[in-house]
Amino acid sequence: MKRILALVMAVVMVVGMTVLLVACDKPSSQITLRVLENDTAKKEGYLDYILEAFNEKYKDDNVVAVDANMDEYSNLEQDGPYGYGPDVLYQANDVLMKYVEGHHIMPIDIQSMEVYEQVPQNAWDAYKADNNGEVIYCGIPVNVQQPLLFYRKDTLPENWQTEWDKNDNDIPDMVEYWNEMYLYSKSIRESDNSKFGFALQLNNEYFNSGFLFTYGGYVFGNNNTDDTDIGLSAGNAKLGGKIIWELAGIMDQKCLDDSFTVGRESMLANGTIFATICTPDMTSSFIKELSAVYQSEGLSEQEALQKVDENLVITGLPKLPADGDITVRKDVTDDSLWVAHKTMGGVNGYGISSYTKHRDWALKFVEFATSKEMVLKRAEMLGVVPARADALAEMHDTVAQITYDNLDDGTIVVMPSISAVGQIWMPIASGFKQIATDGCGDRIFTIDDIENVLKTIDDNIYKAIHTFS
Amino acid sequence: MKNAFRQLWQKIRNLPSAVKEFFKESGRETYASMCFMGVGQMINGQYIKGLLYMLAEGGLIAYFALRGISDIIGFFTLGTVKADAWLGIEGDNSVIMLLMGIFAWFALGVLVYLYIHNIKDAKKYADMKIFKEHLPSFRDDLSALINSKFYKLALFLPLVGVLIFNVLPIVFMILIAFTNYGGTIVPPELVDWSLDSFGKLVTGSELSQSFIRILGWNLLWAFASTMFNYFVGLGLAILFNKKCVKGKAIWRAFPVLAYAIPGFITLLAFKFMFSNGGPINNMIVDNGGKIIDFFGINSKWMARGIGLFVNAWLSIPSIMLLATGILSNINNDLYEAARIDGASGWVQFKSITLPFVLFSTTPVLINQFIGNFNNFGVFFFLRSDVLSDGYFLASDTDLLINWLYRMSIEKNYYSIGAAISLIIFLITSALSLIVYVRSASYKKEDTFR
Repeated sequence: MKRILALVMAVVMVVGMTVLLVACDKPSSQITLRVLENDTAKKEGYLDYILEAFNEKYKDDNVVAVDANMDEYSNLEQDGPYGYGPDVLYQANDVLMKYVEGHHIMPIDIQSMEVYEQVPQNAWDAYKADNNGEVIYCGIPVNVQQPLLFYRKDTLPENWQTEWDKNDNDIPDMVEYWNEMYLYSKSIRESDNSKFGFALQLNNEYFNSGFLFTYGGYVFGNNNTDDTDIGLSAGNAKLGGKIIWELAGIMDQKCLDDSFTVGRESMLANGTIFATICTPDMTSSFIKELSAVYQSEGLSEQEALQKVDENLVITGLPKLPADGDITVRKDVTDDSLWVAHKTMGGVNGYGISSYTKHRDWALKFVEFATSKEMVLKRAEMLGVVPARADALAEMHDTVAQITYDNLDDGTIVVMPSISAVGQIWMPIASGFKQIATDGCGDRIFTIDDIENVLKTIDDNIYKAIHTFS
Repeated sequence: MKNAFRQLWQKIRNLPSAVKEFFKESGRETYASMCFMGVGQMINGQYIKGLLYMLAEGGLIAYFALRGISDIIGFFTLGTVKADAWLGIEGDNSVIMLLMGIFAWFALGVLVYLYIHNIKDAKKYADMKIFKEHLPSFRDDLSALINSKFYKLALFLPLVGVLIFNVLPIVFMILIAFTNYGGTIVPPELVDWSLDSFGKLVTGSELSQSFIRILGWNLLWAFASTMFNYFVGLGLAILFNKKCVKGKAIWRAFPVLAYAIPGFITLLAFKFMFSNGGPINNMIVDNGGKIIDFFGINSKWMARGIGLFVNAWLSIPSIMLLATGILSNINNDLYEAARIDGASGWVQFKSITLPFVLFSTTPVLINQFIGNFNNFGVFFFLRSDVLSDGYFLASDTDLLINWLYRMSIEKNYYSIGAAISLIIFLITSALSLIVYVRSASYKKEDTFR
């Protein structure tokens, strides 16, 4: 009996699997474009919005754009050649451009596109590649991202207008100049050991590389294209390293792991910290935490949100001292003493898979998605900074304007667009951690020690890229 | 074990004479089957079986003609034309070619097996015909398959499944170690056979230095954590077994509770507890101390120690439960006799409890050792954001498996990853085989039956 049962089971399984396999293989005559978007766009409903709008516009052409329904970081290199990848994909420039070497994404003739004139050259450069000496572009910029300073007006000292606004521009000096921020943070630490002025996870490679860039450091040589030349210790980058070390001194060991990242919203809301650095896509969670605190103090939801609007300020990063010393006060009215704080940033945009069977339609979708209307909608729904000048102009948003201008004048150092960029993060994070560990601990590092750490970072990145290739 | 090898050797030595003997006694049926599978069976009058053999050979030959032979050639070349999606060149995908090549070798193996089987079969029934025995019909064969030879039928599908889903990927992984697959050499680039991965691991580069350091710590970790977990688990079990302990059930429940929570949740919780802004450091600061950077860049031994503790938290309960079960099997008369003879508690433990428990749990101990040797989770969750001086892209708490992960998954260096995992496999399998074969539970299998 058992044997017969076993046999029957085996037969049922085989038949079942065959039926399944056959059932999956349904033919369809409709053109389907699979669009890979990031999770935020899905969550906030932007993806649905754009798919609907596109399908509405082209409903007579038997074409339909759908959510590719795969992980936001799924690998085109592994899926594409076998026909499983998306047709159109939205990614940060470093992710998208790592596909160029293997020819997994298509070069796009950008000059013929309507969006070409509206996007600054620095943004296009993020998608520039070299194909046997010929310059090609493999993506269309949609929005720009950079770290910004988040602080609370209502935790400023009462007398800030007389004591902390030496340049009389009605903006507190500590959010304009790193030296003032340093001194203010130090005074907070000295008066109350459980509070912080400026606080940030210092081994975060994305937020802190900018200190090195400001003083001559760079990731890859030859405009971030030569992976044999790694320059995080180049120029006077050690001054930037010293600043990370000094900043660790006005925090404590919490800057060495993710304590200040996990808790930044609530810490800012409950007054533990005065300011931090973050990307603007996190704004909504800052607002939520702070308004919860205001509500617990007895305000209604409406009032709380209004108070958040008055007090939570998001702005560009403070200026750095030209000589790299943030520990002493300098004349804030003398512009020659200050330099802009360069930051690492990214340009997100659309690319077209080389494996798409409908290149024309994929291109049409990208054109549609990078039109002013859609870019503007995206900026509104997701709180991002558009790469299109005309979309930005219609937003009347000062913070977005800061980021856009930073991109235009090179204060944003766009992440490298070569595939080796994947190897840089871990060595940088580890090196920064080493500097910060001493900075908030023994404090015995000299400037040479710091430079040696930066050289080790360069060395580790070089090894990671070149040992096996 | 030794016997098995001796028998195999005997068999191999006798093979030439056995083959000679076989041919001497063969008739036309055997030779017919040698020419084309199934012909001999036809001559024997077993038409359906013969037809099946013919179909099998026909199918396999068709497979080899259509793609098998080119797959085997591809196995050696691993591709000659580079794909280029821009130019519309489909090209060769080395990784797929490797996989299909392995499959073709498997198919070749099946063909050889069927061929030999078919010759033997033809001869067997031809001999039976000579002695005028009744030849089984196809129906008889089938009924044998669901009666006396049911194990063959029952094991056939699982065997095929294991070959395709287990053996094939393992062979694939092993072969990857002998290529240059990884880094910039991923499809559409063409992969080649190469011994570079082993060369880089073995020759005096920084990589091999780092490999030896990690291996040393890995072995120390595996021994230390296995011993610690085992004896603490055993100790707890004995403690909870004592008559003087009140409320055993409640005490036992605590370790079981710790065991019931999924490991990675426990690990994340510990990471938070020990983080610089976490509860432990908060308590230290509240009591006037300074924050201790438990998983910092310089906290090598502290991080290792915490890893040991956290791993103990995760593994001790299972050992305790196991030992509790085994302890209840020990005959109490043994202890009574020992007490009458004046044996102290320690001597009783050493001479009765430990041998008994050790005997039953040696396989588990080996399992624990291998598990700890390849314990990926602990240091991946607790401390994976640090690179240490003197280590090649690794931290001083990383085990080989963490290093392997960083190399192959994060950095795409597949061939190096495969080479490291092959070495891990050799070490762990050698150690566990030696320990097992020398253990009491293998040598005196029948003692406690």
